[in-house]
Parts: sequence; structure tokens; C-alpha cells
Amino acid sequence: MNNSDYIDRDAEGEVGIVDYSDFSCSEPLDFALGGRLESFNIRYETYGTLNADKSNAILVCHALSGDHHCAGVYSISDRKQGWWNNIIGPNKPLDTNKYFVIGSNCIGGCLGSTGPGSINPATGKPYNMTFPIVTIKDMVAAQKRLIDYLGISRLKLVIGGSMGGMQALEWAVDYPDSAEKIIALATTAYQNAQAIAFNEVGRSAIMRDPLWNGGSYTHSSFPADGLSTARMMAHITYLSKVGLDAKFGRHKRNLQSGDPNSIFMPSFEIENYLHHQGESFVNRFDANTYLYFTKALDIFDLRGKNGTLEETFASVKAPVLTVGFTSDWLFPPSQNREIVNALIRIKKRAAYAEVESQLGHDSFLTESPRLYELIRNFLDANA
Amino acid sequence: MQTPKKDNNFSKRKVELGAISEWVSDGESVLDLGCGRGILLEKLVREKKIYGVGVDSDFDKISRAIKRGLNVIHGDICEALSSFGDKSFDWIVCSRTLPELENPELVVKESLRVAHRVAVGFINHGFWINRLNYLFKGERVVNKVYPDPWWLSRPTNPISVGAFKDFCKSNDITINRRRFLGANWRTQIKFMPDLFSGYAIFELTQKNEK
Repeated sequence: MNNSDYIDRDAEGEVGIVDYSDFSCSEPLDFALGGRLESFNIRYETYGTLNADKSNAILVCHALSGDHHCAGVYSISDRKQGWWNNIIGPNKPLDTNKYFVIGSNCIGGCLGSTGPGSINPATGKPYNMTFPIVTIKDMVAAQKRLIDYLGISRLKLVIGGSMGGMQALEWAVDYPDSAEKIIALATTAYQNAQAIAFNEVGRSAIMRDPLWNGGSYTHSSFPADGLSTARMMAHITYLSKVGLDAKFGRHKRNLQSGDPNSIFMPSFEIENYLHHQGESFVNRFDANTYLYFTKALDIFDLRGKNGTLEETFASVKAPVLTVGFTSDWLFPPSQNREIVNALIRIKKRAAYAEVESQLGHDSFLTESPRLYELIRNFLDANA
Repeated sequence: MQTPKKDNNFSKRKVELGAISEWVSDGESVLDLGCGRGILLEKLVREKKIYGVGVDSDFDKISRAIKRGLNVIHGDICEALSSFGDKSFDWIVCSRTLPELENPELVVKESLRVAHRVAVGFINHGFWINRLNYLFKGERVVNKVYPDPWWLSRPTNPISVGAFKDFCKSNDITINRRRFLGANWRTQIKFMPDLFSGYAIFELTQKNEK
């Protein structure tokens, strides 16, 4: 008897062990707000198989602290799966039996693609703050180079949440013939003042850290305090009050008695959790990239000269699905719906759906059968 | 104890959709308030090549409509209407939506602002059997259209043809066309529709609109 007789063909599987690749582009990239890279690197991963006519590719765009490692593990002993492992895989919503899924690290990043921490070939030193200002438009322009390099003329879907959702929308606007469908989750067409405010506090924490030193720091001496504080605060904005109460409540660890200052040591579970988040973040993320990416979020505004989204959306051809999550107060449902309202006002193809969730902005990253269903239904619909 | 039945009035639904879609011309734009799974919109897109948009507050229905490839907005009808400018659609369709709304007057008036024409379809509670039911049993009917007893049903405002005409008259709303269907929702009723029609569809416009 054949072994495959035992395999449930509809069961969800894992993409398994993956590896990243590097695309080294030697054609210069001009940035939207000025500046140019003569050459640059884009780190990316792919899952599934590109079909013969290269028509089954899906581009996944990552959020602020995400990267190209969307699914799978790097080795058998690697316990940390890619950030969207629940969405990408055999028989999962982005089904790698059908689709060729691409994740790439944004330009300006610190996890393989050229960014402020990379060496400027002209000077032999890191770019640091001389790196061009990065916009969502530039991230997408660099992704387009990668897609061209892979020989894909038209993506089946561009999908992303938060900053990734902004990139997906930018794809719809800038390259209307290169993406068949767009899904933007927990995102906005322009950041609200509250979201900008939180980002500015994060940037201040980094830039006021003496070790930041105008952006010039080394691997052994860098603004870890500033970056971890920024991450701690930002992490709160990704969650919700209800979610935090459910997960942590007022649970405490026992204080060590004796030291009169021990009351100020982290004791609530939520305090310990945030410190852990901050500390693990500085081990994998670069402070300057954090400055560049949060600025890219803040200056993102798809409204045109007259202040309307409609004028910008005139070029859109792909059907757009946006999804808001009820407890997301950073990129609230109304901002996701506003995108679809604008598209519909100019008779474009668009859909807005709201997913009930208590997990705040990070809802789009978590187990959500309703989100899975929406992605499947939107992908299955005739374009 | 009655058990709830689902979709047993589907053929009736088809008839009702047929009547509304007859009024819509090729290539027009249609906003369907309470679009459900998008059956009417899908039919209009296929047969009349319309630009259609659906609004519904039910996630599962919106999700099914998305699978049909339709334009939809998940959420409140009034909120959706407020995002559209005057006369931005040729048609607004309220098929069996009005009785379930908290603010039907506002929705009708907003619809007349947003669309040139508004098609409103509703179950006629003035239908003679419904009247007899109230008279003899003192309660709303439980039949194919209302399969569930009151405690399993969504809140519904009973509308009658007469009461709806009065509403239009007192609000300066013009009734351009009307269609009254009999108890079987097939036969057209001309005589005393308030008493003999089971389902009524009206085409409304603002007073000065042609």
C-alpha cells in the first residue's frame, strides 16, 4: 500500500525548513524624497512552487518589526516559526500547494536588505543617518525590482497588515497592472495623530539615548535602552485593554524582600512581559531602522493634492479587500473602511469586512478563522 | 414547538429579486442595503452589468458576498450611506430590509439623497390572512415567510401597504412605480393591494426627481 493513502489531502501542513535568498540589484534606486542607492540588496524567502506561466505568485508585505521570514523554520531545532506561519502553508489560507508565496525584507531594514546599518560602498562605512529617507513608496519600488528579477509580471495577490497593508495599497496605486488582487489588513491610508504621537515617543527614546550618538554606533555600544523602551511602549499599542487583562490581569511575581527599592523592580506579569519584549527586540532590530520605518509610517499619506483618496485611487485596477479588527485602536476599523468607501465612490472594486477580536492591532497576526475565511473567499472570487 | 427552518422560501426570494431587477437598467449603479449573501447583486452584475455595492452588518453574509466577487461594506447602513455624496448611485435597493431597521425613516430619506431611485420591498402585514391571524389568534403569522415564532425571530416592524403609502405622502416622497404580488408572490395584484398582496415593491423618488 502506498504511504500517501494515509495522507489527508485537505489537512493543513507546514512549509517546513526554509532558507532565505539575496537579490543583489545593481541598478540604482532613486528614493521618493531624494537620495539614491547605486546598488542594494533585498533579502527574501519563498514558499511553494512558481508555476510555468508564473501566474501564481503572492507577495507578503511585512509590518514595522517584521521581516522576510514569514513561514517555516530554519532548522529542525529552530523553534521560532516565521511570523505568519498560521496563514502560509499547505492548505492554509495562503496555500503553498497552489501559490508561490514571497516574503521580502523592506529596503531600509536591518534583517538582510540594505538599510542604515549597511556599508555604503562609496565610503566603506555604515550609512547610518546618511541613508535616504525611506517611504512606503520606496519599499514597494524595491519589491517591484525583486518581482521583476523573479520574472513575475503579475502577482496574484499582494497582502499585508499594518505597514504591510500600506505597502499593499501602494502596490495597487503605483503598479496597477502588476497585482491582480490586494488585501490590506489593520491598516490606513494615512496615519492618525495618535499613532504618529506614539511613534514620536519611541523615536525620542532612541534619539535621547546617549549611545545613539547621532546614529553612529557600533555593535558593542548601541542605544539598547532607547530602542527597548520604544519597543515596550509600542508593544502596548499593538494590544488592547481587554486582551492585556485577559492575558496578564494583575498577576504578580513575589518580590524579593530586603531591598527597599524592590517595589520598583518589575513584579506585575505585564511589566515582566514588556521588559522581555524590549530586551529581545534589541537583539534583532536596529535602532536607526526603527527611526526610518516609523517615519515612513508617519509620512505615509495616500491623499492627493486636493486632500482626497479618490484622486490617488484613480489608477487602481485590482479589487481591494481591507479588513479592520474591532479592538484595534492604533489602526482602527474606521480607517480601514474609509479606504473602501473612497474606492467605491469612484466605482472601483472593493470590499470591507470587520473581524471581531479582542487582541488589538496584533489581531491580524493571530489565529483567526474569520480572517482565514475572508482571505480564502477573496482569493477564490473571480477577479 | 416549532423548529426554525432555513431557506424554504428561496423560490419566493427569486420572484422578488426578479421584480426588482426588472426595474434596473443595464450598466446602472446599485447600492443594496442589507445585501445578505449578495444574491440580488450577483444577478444584476451578471444580467445587467451593473456596478453594485452591498452593505450588511452580518459577517458571514459579507464573507459569502466577497466569495461572489462583490463590492461590499461590512457595517451599519446609516454609516455607509453617510459616506456617499448626493445622487451617487442610480439605485438603492432595500429588499426586506426596512422592517428590521431601528431608524427606517432616516434610511429612506438618506437613500433618496444618495440615489436617484429607491426600490423598497416588504412583506405586507395588511394582507388579509395576516389580518385574520391577528384578529383570531392575536399574534403574527408563522408561515413560510416568517418560519420562526417571535422568540426566535429578529425584531421586525410590521409594515402594511397602506401605512407605507401614508408615510410617503406625509414626507413628500413620490411613488413612481409599484408592484403588488399575491400570496404566492407570483400573481400580480391590482385590486385592493393593501388587502390582497403578500409582498409589495415600490419605486420611490424625491418629489422633484423624474
